[in-house]
Amino acid sequence: MSVTLAIPSKGRMKEDAVASLARAGITVSAAADNRSYRTSVAGAEGLDVLLLSASEIARELRDGAIDFGITGEDLIRESAAEPGDIVEIVARLGFGRADVVVAVPDPWVDVETMEDLNDVAAEFRQRHGRRLRIATKYWRLTQGFFARRHGIQSYRIVESLGATEGAPAAGSADIVVDITSTGDTLRANHLRVLDDGIILRSEACLMRSLAGPADAGLAEAVAARFRAS
Amino acid sequence: MSRPGPVADAPAPSRPAGGPEAVLADFFARRGAVPLDAPMLQPAEPFLDAAGDALRRRIFLTKGDRGETLCLRPEFTIPVCLAHIAEAKSLPRAYGYRGLVFRQRSDEPAEFEQAGIEDFGDADTAGADARAIGGALEALAALGLDPAGLDLLVGDQNLFEALLEALDLPAGWQRRLLRSFGDEARLQATLTALAAGGAAGRRSRLDPEIAALAKPEARPALEAAIAARMEAAGLPPFSGRTPAEVAGRLIEKRLFAAAGLAPQALAILQDFLGLECPLSEAGRLLRAKADEAEIDLGRALALFEARNAALEAAGVDLAAIRYRAAFGRSLDYYTGVVFEARARGSVLPLAGGGRYDRLLMLLGAEAPIPAVGFSLWLDRIRQIVDPQEAAR
Repeated sequence: MSVTLAIPSKGRMKEDAVASLARAGITVSAAADNRSYRTSVAGAEGLDVLLLSASEIARELRDGAIDFGITGEDLIRESAAEPGDIVEIVARLGFGRADVVVAVPDPWVDVETMEDLNDVAAEFRQRHGRRLRIATKYWRLTQGFFARRHGIQSYRIVESLGATEGAPAAGSADIVVDITSTGDTLRANHLRVLDDGIILRSEACLMRSLAGPADAGLAEAVAARFRAS
Repeated sequence: MSRPGPVADAPAPSRPAGGPEAVLADFFARRGAVPLDAPMLQPAEPFLDAAGDALRRRIFLTKGDRGETLCLRPEFTIPVCLAHIAEAKSLPRAYGYRGLVFRQRSDEPAEFEQAGIEDFGDADTAGADARAIGGALEALAALGLDPAGLDLLVGDQNLFEALLEALDLPAGWQRRLLRSFGDEARLQATLTALAAGGAAGRRSRLDPEIAALAKPEARPALEAAIAARMEAAGLPPFSGRTPAEVAGRLIEKRLFAAAGLAPQALAILQDFLGLECPLSEAGRLLRAKADEAEIDLGRALALFEARNAALEAAGVDLAAIRYRAAFGRSLDYYTGVVFEARARGSVLPLAGGGRYDRLLMLLGAEAPIPAVGFSLWLDRIRQIVDPQEAAR
């Protein structure tokens, strides 16, 4: 029996994930074939480490196709309505920190809070013949925050797959829900985060799928190394 | 929210003659409702447009060949409206429907059967309202439910709207309160926030240049400053919010933020929202409250009383219906009376409906069409009338 753990396949997230595995005594090195998604692992008997894209890791955890994954909390919260039912957060790893936020055009000087935004959204249709449009790749997080947390019903989501921050200037949306670590990109695009507009403070986490038929003893042994470290 | 079982100690309801199909067909004929069959696969846009994107997580969406978004019919009111608009039939007219609808629900199957009547174009508001409430009660009885085992609840958004107007609250506050109506926790939170007003003292991060201009007498300069910022931000000039709109709202907001909702107005609102009584007592109590507060609820109260009179004339026992001033239904397209019938002690409706005078225009009708209707949850009704059959 073995258990599988997926880490991001490239970039800063990959390096940081490899480093945090190393701190738990697990050494991951690239497979002989550079294009392979498999790795060779030392320090943990029966553990396979795979390289996947960060959003794929969230999906595979949800579906139980992998036992563990290191990816952003934002992605797992976006992938299921009740993330607590499908994954357990074993450890917060302290890297990949970023916030999912609601940002409006800075010239909207009258909108500082979600309650202000609620006023604007409620009247939008009557004034402009269409609903307020929100560009985002986080439709689930957006709906949870707008409808359930703030009672805002009146908006339309415009799905955005990249460069969300450009949507208001491009005219494809009025406001954005986006992820930001420093806020620089939002500011450069004349967008301003609302005072109470932080939906999620995200960071990379080691997560365990609750859906998979994992070897329970082995999986618990892997989880225990991170809980201790 | 717990899922209620059938009423435990209610007397066994009488079984209707024929199945629910025959009972409903008879009922529609008696009420002069034209049967209407709407396609199960519907364009999603009208539902999302009328109810907002928040509906998206409760309905079943799919894509058509040409990329258009379709959904499994989540309810019948909007399809009936669309069919009526498309065929431009004469008014007044009532439609009856029965069929499967599809919605994500927490503890119940997502596929379930509903039936109901939508009544369009009757200028006699009180009469049409009473016909809808009376019709729902008659249908429940015809399907075999014992009226003694039901909680009947009526609310009226018109009265709340009239009260806000009579109190002469700022327009922005009126809209904010009206929007929260029907969600008692949210409404209380909104009232608390307005009462705290400037005292709550959130420190604004507003740019000093803008803050200095945020007063009625500096409005042209404020609009110019906002327009310059919009241009610098590259916002498209002919779409979305305008400098005038932003300036107007900022000035109004700062004008009223300092004051806060007056304690006297807050007390009147709370007193009104706390009212719950038999519908037979409601008119008298509302009049007494209005007199005491020295306000005039005008046409809204007259309509409320005319509706009650029409219900009585139709043989409905007003003493058996509860009026709750704070009661509204979660769909934001309702504009007047709303009502629900529930199994005693449950929060889930067996029948529910109300008036929605703006929806047909919103969906493309050329002129406003008064509309009122109700839906029956046939799955829940079957659970009570015939639990063995329903379990099969």
